[in-house]
Amino acid sequence: MVNYIGMFLGLIIVSAILLGIVMLAPSLIIPAYIKIIIFIIALLFDAMAFTSRYYSYILSPLFKQHKKHLVLSNENPYWLAQSGDTILKKSGEDFIATVYISIPVYRSATEMGDDEKLDFAQQISRLVGLAKVPTRYTTELYVMNKDSYIQKLKETITMTENEEAELQSHDAPKNELDRVRGKLAMWRNMLDSISKGYSFELSTYITVSATGSKEYEASSLAQQKARELMSGVGSIFGVPPSIITGTDLLRFVEPEYLIPISTVTEQISKNIQEQVI
Amino acid sequence: MDEIKLILLLFSLIIILFGFIALPALGKGILYDIGLLLLIITALFIIAMNWIDARLFSAITSLFGITFRPAKDYTINKQQNAVIKEVNGIFYATGYMTANLFSYTFKAEQAPEDDESKMIGAPEAWERMVMNIDFPFKFHVLASGLDVQKIRDELEGKRSYQEFQLSRAMQNNSSETAVTEIRRNMSIIQSKIDRISQGEKPIATIMYVETTAIGVSEKASLDALTSQLDQLRLSFSAMDVETTRIIGRELYSLFNFNFSIPTEFKQLTAMFDQQS
Repeated sequence: MVNYIGMFLGLIIVSAILLGIVMLAPSLIIPAYIKIIIFIIALLFDAMAFTSRYYSYILSPLFKQHKKHLVLSNENPYWLAQSGDTILKKSGEDFIATVYISIPVYRSATEMGDDEKLDFAQQISRLVGLAKVPTRYTTELYVMNKDSYIQKLKETITMTENEEAELQSHDAPKNELDRVRGKLAMWRNMLDSISKGYSFELSTYITVSATGSKEYEASSLAQQKARELMSGVGSIFGVPPSIITGTDLLRFVEPEYLIPISTVTEQISKNIQEQVI
Repeated sequence: MDEIKLILLLFSLIIILFGFIALPALGKGILYDIGLLLLIITALFIIAMNWIDARLFSAITSLFGITFRPAKDYTINKQQNAVIKEVNGIFYATGYMTANLFSYTFKAEQAPEDDESKMIGAPEAWERMVMNIDFPFKFHVLASGLDVQKIRDELEGKRSYQEFQLSRAMQNNSSETAVTEIRRNMSIIQSKIDRISQGEKPIATIMYVETTAIGVSEKASLDALTSQLDQLRLSFSAMDVETTRIIGRELYSLFNFNFSIPTEFKQLTAMFDQQS
């Protein structure tokens, strides 16, 4: 706020001085064609002064950089705290720590009666009204990164194939062999269907931030706020919420984790198909 | 309009007034006419900035092709309606739109009965909507608790004013429509007071939807983003939600919210006004 008020006052004073020059300077010293240029500059400064209320973050680089691609910041927008459970950002002299809390709610409206639906909607209302400080509640639909799951399936298939080979070499009973072959067919079908398309996952989480003059101060304040929220969430839904840590955090922050690179080709071809259709 | 904005508007318009006083110094002739025209344009620009700043600013940046880098690896396009990140030759375009889900509950005249049926239908409507969406998106509710006593006092003040309006309308034999309108407003205010009396906590909320689209070029990702936002708009319309695509400074604020949210309610209200 101080930033834009300073800029506003500066621009408005310059504008007033320039208009004063136009008004008071004798035409012999400053000819009329120079005065109109000063007049235009004064009006530009006036317009910029009012614009600075919301756009001071742009006006300042605009004055300094004089180019079409304005660099507002060249730094990473955040960094992960050493503990891995908080993301940090610098704001002026202070640090802002942000904590993400996962809410593991796995209920579906299709399994609910009217009373349960009303109860669930009221629980959501209570959740939103939980905090006194600004808190963000998010539901995120994101593309699953199935690479590790597919790898696990492949390993299971290899193990089952080994099991089948062993049974065959030991002349095992037919029903036992059939059971293993059935299991193998099941895993292969699952691998086929999973590899064909991409799947989505739905997550619900809370974001809360705190400011501090030191990194650890901001982090501990944010963690404290998060713990208070977690106890409230636990009592509303009866589930154990948890603080999201490590690379899981990036899914809520970075777009490339929202759409994993391994699924990009499929999605682009889907988009092209849709456009063609 | 808040007080600060009003003061800034006033000062900016005083400068325009100074400009009118300075006009004769330009002499009589073409320079005078140019000066007059510029004064009118500047005054109109300032007034327009007051109401539609986001649209006006995005029009200016589009016209001059100005783009921004809000942080390392990110770019805000010249239309100021998307944040783009390039990773390994793939462009990720992120866009936002407002989606105020709860607004109807507080505007409704017959709130409690209306609310109940809407709340019963909400979980299923939400699930149906999510099932029909085949791209990633986030639905955010940014909420902050408000001072109960302050809100109650404000509502009581508003009710007293409406009562005064009603008595004046009755004395002046105003039309039935005007009286009904005042009674309707009183009933809405009363329902809000009743809800607070019943223990409901007043909260301020900003709700918005965020979606990310991908493409092999910036244009492809932006086209995909527009189509995703259109689809989301269609899906959210089933939930009786007003949606507006966010552009300009609010897009920049929402981009920053990915990494930290405001810690005070004042900061929130200073950032959002017209689009949210």
